[in-house]
Amino acid sequence: MLPKLPRDGLLELCRRMFLIRHFEESLVPLHDKGVFGGHYHLYIGQEATGVPAISCLKPDDYLFTTHRNHGHLLARGAEPKRLLAEILGRVDGLNKGKGGSFHSVAPSLGFLHSSGVVAGIIPLSTGTAYASKALKNGRVTVCLFGDGSLEEGAAPEAFNLASLNKLPVLFLCENNGKYGAGRAVAAGQSSSMAAYPLTDLPKAYKIPAQQIDGIDAGLVHATVSEAVEKIRGGDGPQFIEAQTVRWPGSETNWPSVPHPTDSSLAWDVSAVAEKAREWYHSCDPLLVFVRELVEAKQATKDEIAAIERQVKTEIAAAVEFAVASPYPKPEEAERNFFA
Amino acid sequence: MPAKKDDSTELIDLLRRMWLIRAFEEKVSALYAAREIQGLVHLGIGQEATAVGTSSQLKPDDYVFGGHRSHGHAIAKGADINRLMAEIAGRATGYCAGKGGSMHIAAKECGFITATGVVGGTIPLALGAAFAAKERRKGQLAMVFFGDGAGQAGPFHESLNIASLWKLPVIFVCENNGYAEFTPLSAHTKIERLAQHAKTYGIPNSTVDGNDLFAVRQAARKAVEQARAGKGPIFIECLTHRMRGHYEGDPAKYRELSQLAEWKKKDPLARAAKVLKARKLIADKEIESIEGEARALVEKAAAFALASPWPAPAEVDSHVTA
Amino acid sequence: MRELAYYEAKFEALDEIMAADQRVHLINGTFLSLSPHRQVFHNLQKKYGDRMMMPPISELGFCGLATGAAMAGLRPIVDLSTGSFIYEAWPQVANEAANAYSMSGGQTRVPVVFHLFHGLRGGGAAQHSGSPQAMLWNCPGLEIAIPSSPRDVKGLLKTAVASDNPTIFVDHTKLLDLRGEVPENDKPIPFGVADIKRAGSDVTLIATSYTVQVCLRAAEKLAKEKINVEVVDPRTLVPFDLAAILSSIEKTRRVVIADETHQSCGVAAEIAARIAETGFDKLKTRIRRVSTMDVPVSYSPPLEEYIGPSESRIIDAIRASVA
Repeated sequence: MLPKLPRDGLLELCRRMFLIRHFEESLVPLHDKGVFGGHYHLYIGQEATGVPAISCLKPDDYLFTTHRNHGHLLARGAEPKRLLAEILGRVDGLNKGKGGSFHSVAPSLGFLHSSGVVAGIIPLSTGTAYASKALKNGRVTVCLFGDGSLEEGAAPEAFNLASLNKLPVLFLCENNGKYGAGRAVAAGQSSSMAAYPLTDLPKAYKIPAQQIDGIDAGLVHATVSEAVEKIRGGDGPQFIEAQTVRWPGSETNWPSVPHPTDSSLAWDVSAVAEKAREWYHSCDPLLVFVRELVEAKQATKDEIAAIERQVKTEIAAAVEFAVASPYPKPEEAERNFFA
Repeated sequence: MPAKKDDSTELIDLLRRMWLIRAFEEKVSALYAAREIQGLVHLGIGQEATAVGTSSQLKPDDYVFGGHRSHGHAIAKGADINRLMAEIAGRATGYCAGKGGSMHIAAKECGFITATGVVGGTIPLALGAAFAAKERRKGQLAMVFFGDGAGQAGPFHESLNIASLWKLPVIFVCENNGYAEFTPLSAHTKIERLAQHAKTYGIPNSTVDGNDLFAVRQAARKAVEQARAGKGPIFIECLTHRMRGHYEGDPAKYRELSQLAEWKKKDPLARAAKVLKARKLIADKEIESIEGEARALVEKAAAFALASPWPAPAEVDSHVTA
Repeated sequence: MRELAYYEAKFEALDEIMAADQRVHLINGTFLSLSPHRQVFHNLQKKYGDRMMMPPISELGFCGLATGAAMAGLRPIVDLSTGSFIYEAWPQVANEAANAYSMSGGQTRVPVVFHLFHGLRGGGAAQHSGSPQAMLWNCPGLEIAIPSSPRDVKGLLKTAVASDNPTIFVDHTKLLDLRGEVPENDKPIPFGVADIKRAGSDVTLIATSYTVQVCLRAAEKLAKEKINVEVVDPRTLVPFDLAAILSSIEKTRRVVIADETHQSCGVAAEIAARIAETGFDKLKTRIRRVSTMDVPVSYSPPLEEYIGPSESRIIDAIRASVA
């Protein structure tokens, strides 16, 4: 379903989802050509969770995210060119080249820190929530992490602290481990987590927890906005598990694009290789959203194509900017590690 | 309720063992007050039934891991009280040649592998021993003791998860005495029963009266059967109370005297004796002589310990690496 | 000048800090370890209880919480109590707090203080006698303050809280009852400024924390043998006042370093390396270190006494350097 938003709101969500999709796809050839090194993780296949969820927040709310952070930063409004420059380690990057993909931040947008250590941010999110409560500034913290984080001891420790102290934090778990052709299939039991469903873990601490279909933008939007409102009202922490089907491009050791995204795929996937076809047909949240917009007559196919063209132009310019940005001077390594 | 087909010798022996622990701990307390023992000691007075009830179901080659309050666990597993007392007194004749002290007891010969001063520190270790035991396929298992304070520590959760996933033969024994150091459990978490965490990870669990020797024994018997049959981990939560402070010297002002009085009425030794008397397995005179024997043995252990030499300074270089 | 006990000076500092800045929160311990002087902590609770949080036994969790809170505008002071417990929180301290400012290109500040009690405390055995400051010195991004006197603990704690960097505040239980002069209306002590605790001319004896007090006693004894020892206390490891040490060595030409961290990669090792690199020509004799031996700390009292930087080992080292 579609989020309950006016048409321009819906189109803006659509634009941001396309932005994330084309940004992420642009990284693959850059990496494969050696323009940047190190590992990187793409948010493709999760756009309908991040974009509607983050749209529910206020400008001064805090967000914490993990190594899979590009989508979250872009959803929140970070400039694609500066994020790309950071991933390339250039001086015009968000972190001046010092963080790289895993640690991109944008404090003015509420992203104080990203951690590449699984579950590294979960205790931190209880901290900003604690501070917000103490300073009475009404800020909510959203902690975005994957299902793997729940295996780390840091997660239950943080849940306990959040629950005990009624901290204003939303734990938003993106479980992209759902395998299966159709969306009706719920995420199966993980081979590395004995608890099932995952919502049992926060529930043990009396934290209200629910599982939702992360591909349903409208459901994500409604669930997150309700949860955030409760948290802002002083109800204490909440937990949402949003389930998506893992993008086939992640299956290889290094990301690869099975088929470049184009809005026309929403109606015809015949050009996609058989292995990935089913995913693009039923599990791609961006294409699902696009189809629903058209079906609900909130946009025409042409309008959507136009949005996508504009996004592609923006991304191409971002790539040009980032590649042209210089590397930081080597001496910079010795500076700016103490305030 | 005790099972009907019990061997009376065995039950009396369990009472004897509980008295040995009680007498031992009381002597350690006295020696500490007399400054014959230094550092930190944490006594398990009041928690004897938990130690004895569970260990009674184990074999000598089963692994046991403890925490900072583990003198009783070691004794229940069969540790020699002379060497145990000597260790707590820091003497060369102690189990660890004076190197471990009260919180780091190791009595390998009887399967008590190690204790720890870090809350929950041995839980992952027990996992490892269970893993090795499983590989060995001889039906061995591992048992680990910890308190309610460990329930909020990350490694506890990680261990429950792994034990469940890999179906490891480990028995988690939580001695929930209501206090983690100086604060009640309610200040640490909203959960009242730690067995709930076991449930979250799909581990069979039970909560028992930790001061009822027979209830503990019964739960342990079932657990051991299951674990040895390869059915995976079990969690037993024993509700009990420590009659002393967190450590010797802790005035325990955080505890109501009325609470202490309530628990005195539930003293595990008195209750076990009462049951045995009611079943005509033992008379008052015998109970007295059991206490007397225990105290006599403990006196000998204390004398042995205090007469033992200190370790030579050069010993610091031994046992650093194998 | 008035005299205070070390623990009194520390709590005077905490009281002034809490009163001056509403952003300061205390997390976890009593800052007293097992000291009987609980009253000073309870007094603090009466005044500032709503800014004092007692979490469960979850070092990883609450050190992370403190770090995140610092990122979001508070200035928390965490008391880990026993120094070895920082190992439970290592990922949050070393991976997150230490790196955040640098990784973000200077955007995210982490004004958190991690307070702990280090060292040989008398029967602590291997898991309660750790001195993690050497390992933490090897984590760039952390400041490290390590007082040895009532005046220093008060002055350094204030600077630690005022600093925008994550700071490790290394204390010692054996210092708590020490008495010393603390001026009224004292000023915060800047980081990176060493203190000459005893002026001398024959040997420079460098030490931190409780070992400073052991060194002062050793120096008194040696004075009777007409060996005049200068005791230099760096007071902070990061930033480190190498200049003060070099200027002392310029005078004495001899140096002994005494420290409770283990010998290998310990605090004395790093100081020795820096002196060797920059002050080699000033030295008449080789650098000598008196560190805790490279063995896990045994429980038994004579063993614990043997492995530490004791007064007799320090005296031996000084005698050897003037021989």
